[in-house]
Amino acid sequence: MTLLQREREIIVRNEYIDHFDFDEVKEFISGASKNLFISHRFKNSKEILVQPRGGFPTYDKVFELYKEFKDANVDVLPLTIDSNTRLNDYATAKKMLSLSEANDTDMLNGYPLVNHGYRTTRKMITHYDTPVSLRHGTPDARLLIEVALASGIFEIEGGPITYLLPYSKNFPMDKAFLYWKYVERVCAEYSKLNEPINRESFGPLSATLQPPAIVIVIQLLEMLLSLEEGVKSFSVSFSQTGSMLQDIVSSNVIKKLARHYADKFGHDDATINLVYHQWMGAFPYNREYSDSLINTSTVIASMIGADKIITKTRNEAFGIPTKEANALAVANVKYTLGMLKGLPKVGDEEEEENLTNEVHEILEAVFNDGADTLWRQVFNSIKNGYIDIPFSPHIINANKVITVRDKNSNIRFFKRGSVPISDKSFAFEKSKISLKDGDRVVDKIIQDIGIML
Amino acid sequence: MNRLLIDIGSTYFKIAEQGKIEQYFRNFDKSILNDLESKCADVISSYNKDDVYICSSANGGLSTLIIGLSNSFSLKYAVNIAFNSGINIIDTVLYNNISNETPPKDNIDVVIIVGGINSVDNIFDEKIFEYLNNVNYQNIVFVGTEKSHNYLQNNIKDIVLLENIISDKLQIREDELKSYLTDLYQADIMGKEDIKQLYALTNNQIFSTPYIVNRALPKIHEHIDVADPFIVVDIGGATTDIHYSRDLVNDNILSSSGYDRLVFKKLGVYKSRESLVHIAKQNEFVFELLEHLNVTENILEEKSDEATRVLMQLSIFLVLYKVSKHHASYIELNLEILNNIILTGGITQVLTQEDVDNITLFFYKKILHFHHTPKIILDKNYEIWTYR
Amino acid sequence: MKVVTGVVGNDIHVVANRLIDISLAERGFEVFNLGVNTYLEEFLDAVIETDADVLLISSLNGEAEGWCRDLQILKSQYNFRDNVIFMIGGNLVVGETTAEEIVPRFKSYGFDLVFHQVDLNEGLDQLELFLKASK
Ligand code: B12
Repeated sequence: MTLLQREREIIVRNEYIDHFDFDEVKEFISGASKNLFISHRFKNSKEILVQPRGGFPTYDKVFELYKEFKDANVDVLPLTIDSNTRLNDYATAKKMLSLSEANDTDMLNGYPLVNHGYRTTRKMITHYDTPVSLRHGTPDARLLIEVALASGIFEIEGGPITYLLPYSKNFPMDKAFLYWKYVERVCAEYSKLNEPINRESFGPLSATLQPPAIVIVIQLLEMLLSLEEGVKSFSVSFSQTGSMLQDIVSSNVIKKLARHYADKFGHDDATINLVYHQWMGAFPYNREYSDSLINTSTVIASMIGADKIITKTRNEAFGIPTKEANALAVANVKYTLGMLKGLPKVGDEEEEENLTNEVHEILEAVFNDGADTLWRQVFNSIKNGYIDIPFSPHIINANKVITVRDKNSNIRFFKRGSVPISDKSFAFEKSKISLKDGDRVVDKIIQDIGIML
Repeated sequence: MNRLLIDIGSTYFKIAEQGKIEQYFRNFDKSILNDLESKCADVISSYNKDDVYICSSANGGLSTLIIGLSNSFSLKYAVNIAFNSGINIIDTVLYNNISNETPPKDNIDVVIIVGGINSVDNIFDEKIFEYLNNVNYQNIVFVGTEKSHNYLQNNIKDIVLLENIISDKLQIREDELKSYLTDLYQADIMGKEDIKQLYALTNNQIFSTPYIVNRALPKIHEHIDVADPFIVVDIGGATTDIHYSRDLVNDNILSSSGYDRLVFKKLGVYKSRESLVHIAKQNEFVFELLEHLNVTENILEEKSDEATRVLMQLSIFLVLYKVSKHHASYIELNLEILNNIILTGGITQVLTQEDVDNITLFFYKKILHFHHTPKIILDKNYEIWTYR
Repeated sequence: MKVVTGVVGNDIHVVANRLIDISLAERGFEVFNLGVNTYLEEFLDAVIETDADVLLISSLNGEAEGWCRDLQILKSQYNFRDNVIFMIGGNLVVGETTAEEIVPRFKSYGFDLVFHQVDLNEGLDQLELFLKASK
C-alpha cells in the first residue's frame, strides 16, 4: 500500500462516518456520469457557467434548494459547508444538525457533509446529474474531501493559502500545506479514473481591498502546488475589485501568466480556467442597488471572458439568502448573460505591464527562497511578508501592506510593507493615489471598504 | 559525523549510535556516571567529548504551583512559559477560588503568581497570604500587575518581582519569566551531583529529555507512518509526558513550534507508583476499567508483572482522561480529531499492541462515546528521541 | 474607559473588528482587541484582567446565539464589579429576522446593549449615551 493510501485509511477511520469503502468509491467514480464533472463541462461549453453559493443544514433543504436552482437553469451547483465542519468539529455539527432537523430551524450556516455521509449525499447529487462544487474554507479538509469525492462532488475549492489567510486565526500554516498536499494527491489519483477532478483556488481572499498583484501571485502558487501533485484541471479566480478597468487588467494578466507558469513548470497538459466572483465585499443594505451591482458584475464577467461566474444575491448584506432569492439571482445572471455575446477584447497596456511586472517580481523572490520544496518557499515568503494580504485574521500574516483606491476606484499599494515589488512598480502605484492634504488614511480606507454601500 | 546519544531515564538509560539503540537497567547503587562507565565504557571512550550528546529525565524537573487571576490569560500564559522552560507543572489555582482550594502537600520548587495588566490595582488581598501560609515552597515569583508590587513585597518574604507576562495589549510576554525559570532548572540539574558528573563525558549542554523529544517531532514523519494531528505519550518511570501538535488545541497563543508538551509529574509506573495508584483510585471510571481488564481492585496493591501491566494501561487511560474535555484542567486537547497516538518510554517494553489498543478503545468508548480510536503506534525501540 | 472587544465563536470576519478598534480609540477609549475567533470565557477573562468597563462583542457569521446564550450562567461564576456594560452587535442570527425580535432575546441572555445590523458608529454613539446616562 502506498504511503498516501495508508494515510487515507487512517483519515477515514473516524467516529462520524460509517465504514468507508474505497473500492466501492473508486468504482463509483470510474463509472460516474460525465455530467457530474465540471472539467467535462468546461471542455464542451463556450458559455460562462453560472454557479451560486448555498448550503443548508438538512438534506431536504439542500434538495429543495437544488431544485430551485435547476429551475433557474443553473450550470453548476454549490455545496457550502457549515463552519463547525470547517473546523473539523463534527460533534457540534452533529448536535446542531439534529436540532435543525427536530425544530425545523437552521442551526448551521451550511451543510455538515461529514455527518450526512457520502452514501446519503450521493443520492442527491446523482439525482440532479449536474456538477457540484465544494465550498468550505477548511484548513484540514482531508476527511471532508474524501466524503465529497465519494459523494460525486468533483470540484474542490480552496488551497493552503486561500483557505487559511482569510479564514483562520491560528491554524499552523505548515500543517495546512501538508494537509492540502493530501487533497491534491487524492484529486490527482481520482482524476485518472474518469474525467479530471477540478481544483479551484479562492481568489477573493478577505474580499476587502485586495491588491491584484498579491491575488494573482497566490493564484499562481496554488495552481503550481496543485499541478505539481498531478492535478490536471485547475481554475484560478479573483473577485470583482470595484474597478472595471482593474478587473479587465487582472484577467488579462492572470490568464497570460497562469499558462506561462504552468508550462514553465512542465504542466503543459493541464487545463487552466478562469473563475470570476461577483462583488465579495460589503454589500449595500438596499436590494435594488444590490441587483444593479450584480448585473454590473455579470457584464464584467463577460468582458473578461471568464469560464465561470459565482453569483451573489440581493440579500447578501442581510443574511444567508432564501432559496428563492438565491435562485432569482441565478436566473437574472443567466438573463443578463444572454445579452452579452461576442464582446470585443479590451485592455490597457500600461496597467497590464505594471501588474505583470509586480507579479514577476514577487514570484521571483518566492522562487529565490532557499527552501528545497515549493510549499516551503511559499511558507517562508508568507512568514517574511513577501506575500501579505490586507485584512487577514491570521497571526502569520504580516499586515504591513496598506491599500487604498485611486480616483477611478482601482486598488493601489499605499504601503508595500515587505512585498518585494520594485521601486519602479511601487512608484507607479503611488502616482495614482491622490490623498488631499489633511485627509486621513483611515477615513479613506473606511470609505474604500464601503464603496458599494 | 558520528554522534553518540545518551538518554538517562529514571529506570533505564539508552545509548544510541548510528541508529542502533541499546538499553540498560539503571543500577541504583552506583552513581549514573559509574553505572554508565561500567556498562559501556568501550563505546563511550571511542567518542570525542564533542560528539557525545546527553539528555536526562532523571532529575525529575521542577515542580510549580501557579496562582492566577483567569484561565485564558494569567494561567494559560504562565503554564505555557513554564512548559517551554522545561518545568513540570504540578498545580494551578484560579485566584477567585483560592479560599476553597486545599494547598498541595508536597514541596513546591517555585510558586508563580500572576494577574492583571499593569494599570490594574487591588487584585490581591489577604486570601493569598492565608493560602501561601500552608504551602511549602522554595522560591516565589510575581509576574502580574506592577501596581501590586509594593503590596506583595511587603507581605511575602523573598518574593521575586519580574516583568508582567501579560502585556498592556493582553499579549504574552515571556522573556523575563522564562529566563528566570530556565536558570532555576539549570541550577537544579547542577545541584544534582549525579547529573553534574556527566559533564565528564560531554562538551555539549545536557538537556531534559522531553525537550529533546519535542524537538524531534517535526522529523517523525521521516521515520514512521503517522498522520497529523498526533500525540506522543512518553510514560516513563517517574513522569508521563505528552507531546501534541498545536492544531489539537484551541488556544490563541502564537508559538514558534508546531508542537507543545505537557508533563504529569506523578504518573510514572515505577518511581511514582503510589501516587499513580492514588490518582487511579480517585477516578470515577477506574472500577469499570479494572473490570474491563478482567482484574480486581487488589491488583493495584500487588507487585507482580501483571500488576505492572495493568498500571501501565491505567496510566494511558489517566493521561488521555486528563487532557480530554471532560477534565477541566489547564489544557484540553481535541482528542476527537486525533489520527495517531504514539506510545514511547518504558511502557513499550511491557505492553503489547493488543494491550494498548484495548485500553484506548475503552477510553474512547467510555469517555468520548466513540467507536473508533486513533491508530496506536508503539515506539518499541524507543527511538523517537534520536530523530534529528 | 477601557473596552474589551473581539469577534465571538468560530467567526473570522475581521474587517469590522479592525474598524471598531480604530473608532473606539479615536473616541478616547482604551481598547483591548482580542480579534476574531474568541470564546465567551476569554472575553470575560479579559474583562477581569484589564478591569474593563465595557465588553463589546461582535458577531457577523450568524452564530452569536449559540456562543452567547450562556452569558448569564457564566457571569455568575465571576466576580465582576457592578457596572460593567455588556454589549453585542453585528449580524446576530442566521437568515433574516427583525431587530424587534432579536434585541429582547439577547437582552435576556445578559446583554445591556444589543445592535443587530446597526452601523458601528451609530452603536458607539449609543454606547456613549448609555455611559452618560448611567453615571
Ligand atoms: C467579506 C465577507 C467575508 C470574507 C471575510 C474576510 C475576513 N476575514 O474578514 C470571507 C469571504 C472570507 C467570508 C467568509 C464567510 N462568510 Co462572510 N461575508 C462577508 C461580507 C460580504 C462582508 C463583511 C464585511 O467585511 N463588511 C464590512 C464591515 C466593515 O462591516 P460588517 O462586518 O458588515 O459589520 C458592520 C456592522 O455589522 C457593524 N458591527 C459589527 N460588529 C458590531 C458590533 C457592535 C456592538 C455594533 C454596534 C456594530 C457592529 O459594523 C460594521 C459596519 O457598520 C458579508 C455580507 C455583507 N455584509 O455584505 C458576508 C457575511 C457576513 N458572511 C457570511 C457567512 C455565512 C460566511 C461564511 C460562514 C461562509 C458562508 N457560509 O457563506 C464564511 C465564514 C466562516 C467563519 N468561520 O466565520 C454571512 C453571515 C450570515 C448571517 N449572519 O446570517 C454574510 C452576512 C453573507 C451572507 N449573506 O450569507 N465572508
